[in-house]
Amino acid sequence: MLSPERRTSMAERRPSFANFSGNSNHIDTLMVPHLAGIEDPLPETTPEKVDVLIAGTGLVESVLAAALAWQGSNVLHVDSNDYYGDSAATLTVDQIKNWVNRIHNSKNESEPYKNAKLYISSSNIGPDCKYASRDFGIDLSPKILFAKSDLLSILVKSRVHQYLEFQSLSTFHTYENDSFEKLTNTKQDIFTDQNLTLMTKRNLMKFLKFVLNWEKMPEIWQPYADKSITDFLFNKFKLEKPQVFELVFSIGLCSNMDTKVPLALNRIRRYLVSYDVYGPFPVLYSKYGGAGEVSQGFCRSAAVAGATYKLNEKLYSYNPTTQVATFTDGSKVTVTEKIIMSPTQAPEGNKHVPEQKYEVNRMVCLVEKDCKEWFSEDESAAVVVFPPGSLKSGNKHVVQTLIMGSGSECCPQGTSIWYLSTTESGVRAEMDLDAALEALEISIIRESSEEITNDNDIVQISDDGRPIINSVRLGQSFKEYVPRESVQHLMKLSYTQLTSTPPFDVVNPALFDNDELNNRANSVNKFIPNASDNGIIYTAMPSSEISYDEVVTAAKVLYEKIVGSDDDFFDVDFEDDDNDAMPTGASVNGVINYENAIEDDEEDIQMGEDDSNEFVGEMEI
Amino acid sequence: MSNPITSIKLVLLGEAAVGKSSIVLRFVSNDFSENKEPTIGAAFLTQRVNINDHTVKFEIWDTAGQERFASLAPMYYRNAQAALVVYDVTKPQSFIKARHWVKELHEQASKNIIIALVGNKIDILEDNENERKVAREEAEKLAEEEGLLFFETSAKTGTNISEVFLGIGEKIPLKGLEDEHNNNGLNVTEDQRINLANTANASENASACSC
Ligand SMILES: Nc1nc2c(ncn2[C@@H]2O[C@H](COP(=O)(O)OP(=O)(O)OP(=O)(O)O)[C@@H](O)[C@H]2O)c(=O)[nH]1
Ligand SMILES: [Mg+2]
Repeated sequence: MLSPERRTSMAERRPSFANFSGNSNHIDTLMVPHLAGIEDPLPETTPEKVDVLIAGTGLVESVLAAALAWQGSNVLHVDSNDYYGDSAATLTVDQIKNWVNRIHNSKNESEPYKNAKLYISSSNIGPDCKYASRDFGIDLSPKILFAKSDLLSILVKSRVHQYLEFQSLSTFHTYENDSFEKLTNTKQDIFTDQNLTLMTKRNLMKFLKFVLNWEKMPEIWQPYADKSITDFLFNKFKLEKPQVFELVFSIGLCSNMDTKVPLALNRIRRYLVSYDVYGPFPVLYSKYGGAGEVSQGFCRSAAVAGATYKLNEKLYSYNPTTQVATFTDGSKVTVTEKIIMSPTQAPEGNKHVPEQKYEVNRMVCLVEKDCKEWFSEDESAAVVVFPPGSLKSGNKHVVQTLIMGSGSECCPQGTSIWYLSTTESGVRAEMDLDAALEALEISIIRESSEEITNDNDIVQISDDGRPIINSVRLGQSFKEYVPRESVQHLMKLSYTQLTSTPPFDVVNPALFDNDELNNRANSVNKFIPNASDNGIIYTAMPSSEISYDEVVTAAKVLYEKIVGSDDDFFDVDFEDDDNDAMPTGASVNGVINYENAIEDDEEDIQMGEDDSNEFVGEMEI
Repeated sequence: MSNPITSIKLVLLGEAAVGKSSIVLRFVSNDFSENKEPTIGAAFLTQRVNINDHTVKFEIWDTAGQERFASLAPMYYRNAQAALVVYDVTKPQSFIKARHWVKELHEQASKNIIIALVGNKIDILEDNENERKVAREEAEKLAEEEGLLFFETSAKTGTNISEVFLGIGEKIPLKGLEDEHNNNGLNVTEDQRINLANTANASENASACSC
């Protein structure tokens, strides 16, 4: 029970496993591969007995479901909502309305959402209006994907990436002195930036070189190990405030001035090594909605591997002694190993949900502006960071903003979605978010307004005669600028999301120890009479992290708890691995790689995680 | 093969055991199996077809069992350009389900989706016309009302199977020809799409901007 014996993997259990020999055309017996190893006919009802029950189709839960299903576990994956994604869902405007209502009427003692406020311009969105509810895909946890990251590797390995479409995001703005500074993140940018002194350029180069291999140079950073990154950059590298802020808040995406040196260095490097993996940009996002799409992709992968899916299914209680889980519709299932559950799905009468003491405050605005002024050419998204002290509200924490334009297919042409978030809490958070929203509005009105499009500052010409698109362009006249129009809000949503994960911390494995049968010496494990959720392991709510970086770590910890080791986490053995040249249309006597024949004859399939590309070539000095 | 290629995402919908996977198997591998396993899992298969001077690459998504409890993920049909809604001509219930899927697609899928209504297993009728439980006229009427292509097929004998896909291929606006008035950006998307499995372009781009 403690560490269950390793089950045979999906590939091993597949009857065609033994006989299948790659590209062979000479298999004589007519044999259709069992589709994903399911030998029995599909049951009409939910299974009576499963290895693992997962409740909630958020990111961590979905990655876990797929990992377990491919490993060979029998998984029942449910969600109390009628849509996929849970805490990571991508929702239409109508679904947002219902979601807000649900939060207000929640009977979950540990409801991780609160203070939800919603405004919808009903003259603009709805039946017979300019825009339909489903023209929008609104993310509850907006995320960006670093080009070099563990989730990206898993996406490729599991081939879930084939279900998704990714686009690039290269524009990171730092808001400073009431204007947007576009990030200087390449050697070229640094050299051509006329605002930098020679000294600053040299210091910046020195730091960029250091940070790529910072662990190997303890003599440089160790004295600052407990200090803040801002301290380190000012004092050790003699960088000036604009550069420090860019490095810490835009490149590193840190949430306040006090982020510790090693953590911040890792975060800065994450950006730099991701640059140029797929092209001249550090991050990507999935079209049609971010985290919601990714979690759906993993759910589909889990289903392909045999997991059973049921939406609209809510747990009523679990009895760890009989191992029977009962749902609110009266159906029951015996769970032989573990129940994994998101706090959003906790049954009434729950007493084991870990304390959610950190706030992430979010605001989402649908605006009638395409915001292409903020995007790079051919892109439809941008990140805008408001460093501490940059806003009228005197913000202590960063406000991070993700802007999605219509090219992401998350919103119709002529509109965009602004996602703002902060780790600040309470009233201060509200003030910071409002101030950031206002700053964004003023900027976009100014930048998109006609009268100044002829301003000389808009396009700077570099030495070799190429125009440099420069978003600083309107900075000078900004203070005097009085907006004449206002930004039309189509929808405005704000809410507080609670999480047990502190900002930038990875999830704490001890959280998952509400597991009676494993009987770890932890007070939260105690059997509590009348609790509806004894023995249930709760996942952590998404943290404030804007990237996907915590997801795989959390899923792996849970996986290890269930399987005994994470050695074969997504050790997926696709039958057609060496076989992507298999002629489609050619009969291989009925043996087609049906459940996973994701072949793309135009592409050279390479695994992303261990490519030998030199990273950031242009960073080398 | 230098002629332009249009990729079409095609999804399959229909009640269990109507022959969805068999239709795909016939189309992709020209094969059939009497005892086909119910599909829990299927990701997608690709098949190229030449239509006139054009290559159409079908990206065929079979269901993965998620539809069983009405839990199909929207990503399944969201940006599909084509759908096969399949029923079994000997099972009236499956036709009712097909109506339901047509309605669902009209509500949820992209506006320009091309839907083919497919009545499968007509080979059974050859031996005994009494087995027919869904009148051809009834299905034709539905197709007419909803603007669907309509075919009666047999995955077992292969009757009409390639016609279904060719019929769809002919209705799809082809790349290059109609790029100007592209419907809803159907194919434009391809170009900005980044293939995560392919990092090869990195070095090129790196050299382009190093100084
Ligand atoms: N006689 C006859 N049988 C068929 C035909 N097509 C499929 N079948 C049989 O019908 C059964 C179901 O076929 P599948 O292709 O698995 O059906 P499906 O729609 O994919 O089923 P699910 O994946 O369970 O939803 C199998 O036993 C097939 O052999 C046909 O055209 N004629
Ligand atoms: Mg099937």
